[in-house]
Amino acid sequence: MIMKANIVIVGGGVSGCAIAYNLAKKGVKDIIVLDKSYLTSGATGRCGAGVRQQWGTEMNCRIAKASIEFFEGANEELQYDGDIEFKQEGYLLVASTEKENKQFEKNVELQNKVGIDSRKITLEEAKEIVPYLNTEKLIGAAFCPTDGHLNPFLLTDAYFKAAKRLGVKFYMNQEVTDIEVIDGKVNKVITNDFEIETDVVVNAAGGYSKDVGEMVGVDIPVFSENHEILVTEPIEKTQGPMVMSFSLNIYCQQTPHGSFIMGRGDKEKTPGYNIESTWKFLDRMADTVVGLLPPIGNLRVVRQWGGLYNITPDKQPIYGKCEVEGFYLAVGFSGHGFMFAPMTGLLIAEQILGEENTIDISKLSIDRFKKGELYLEPSVV
Amino acid sequence: MRILKHPVLNFNRGKEIEFVFNGQKMIGYEGETIAAALHASSIKILGYSPYKHRPRGFYCAIGNCAACNMIVNGEPNVRTCVTELKEGDVVETQVGKGEII
Repeated sequence: MIMKANIVIVGGGVSGCAIAYNLAKKGVKDIIVLDKSYLTSGATGRCGAGVRQQWGTEMNCRIAKASIEFFEGANEELQYDGDIEFKQEGYLLVASTEKENKQFEKNVELQNKVGIDSRKITLEEAKEIVPYLNTEKLIGAAFCPTDGHLNPFLLTDAYFKAAKRLGVKFYMNQEVTDIEVIDGKVNKVITNDFEIETDVVVNAAGGYSKDVGEMVGVDIPVFSENHEILVTEPIEKTQGPMVMSFSLNIYCQQTPHGSFIMGRGDKEKTPGYNIESTWKFLDRMADTVVGLLPPIGNLRVVRQWGGLYNITPDKQPIYGKCEVEGFYLAVGFSGHGFMFAPMTGLLIAEQILGEENTIDISKLSIDRFKKGELYLEPSVV
Repeated sequence: MRILKHPVLNFNRGKEIEFVFNGQKMIGYEGETIAAALHASSIKILGYSPYKHRPRGFYCAIGNCAACNMIVNGEPNVRTCVTELKEGDVVETQVGKGEII
């Protein structure tokens, strides 16, 4: 079957759905979203569900802040029939090394400059926020009260339904197998079942973005890596904010449902598409969380899983055009694509339509790697 | 109610022990689970569903379903269907998801 579309978006995660919604809202017709599995089947549905503004680069700070502002009114904006479960009880970042503590100071200064209400706090203040926090190995902390939690499935569903109302078509279980390029221009997207003639393709393929880039001959400097997470049984409300530490390698938050979601990175993991769950993660995670938040040790783990971080050399996303005309990138989120989704949607839609960007994202184009203008994001678990 | 004689199975009941359920003294037998002891004493409601607060009773009996989660000696979410009864256990009906601090 041969179809036609103005824009084809590859990836039915939160980014793809947000891009589709923003384009449709701006009046674009005939938009198609493809996913090789189902909505949220990739990194969106596997993420830690935290949303924060406490970043270490100006671009990440600005995008995160604008995204949080969107979340505050998202139910209304998207006319969602449910609730996206946005909870703003903050992110408590704790430092166990002098270097990390100094980084927090620098970050807070930068964050305040762009209007984020984060602050450096003492360990005593940190204990007031999370009374059972074990401060033994800690040196300092930072807190931002407007960071929080959000349900990735529901946010994606909200974008999906809003986009659908505006006429966007979604095709699931459609793996993009090839993209035809003629004279340096995108011409056709080929899936397992059909061919779609189009001038514009958006790569929002998350963990598989490099493969989709290769189809048009663009070498995107990203790699994918398995990051594991676990969830506990639910319990009455115990912890307000996300507790996170880069040096201790942990993030841990209680969802509104009552379960605790926690994760950590693993330096020994090799790049690839493997998303298996390991006993090693369970073992190290339990060790880390009980050391920092002792009462959590009383909870039973009900499930663990893995998902792909799509990582760039500077841990900032790659946005916008590339050398193939009509091929747009929304990739390389390095573990924070979910929390940036509202801005990803808006900014990419603006780029495609040739509008002026709400936030100047020229620093996040793929050209930065050739020019060597990299600003490394230091604050990633 | 307890089956005392069975044509095929033999019950090697342990010694009688006392425990407390919601402030009330109860009798059970060593070697049986808390849920079994309660059930045999005609306590059919072990907990309540989290959202609609409907009564929940002995269900899967293998520690999977969480219908029998109760507070035992102060600890919430104890799966009483797979937890052996001990002399002097204090068992309480759990309302809500339980508290750990």
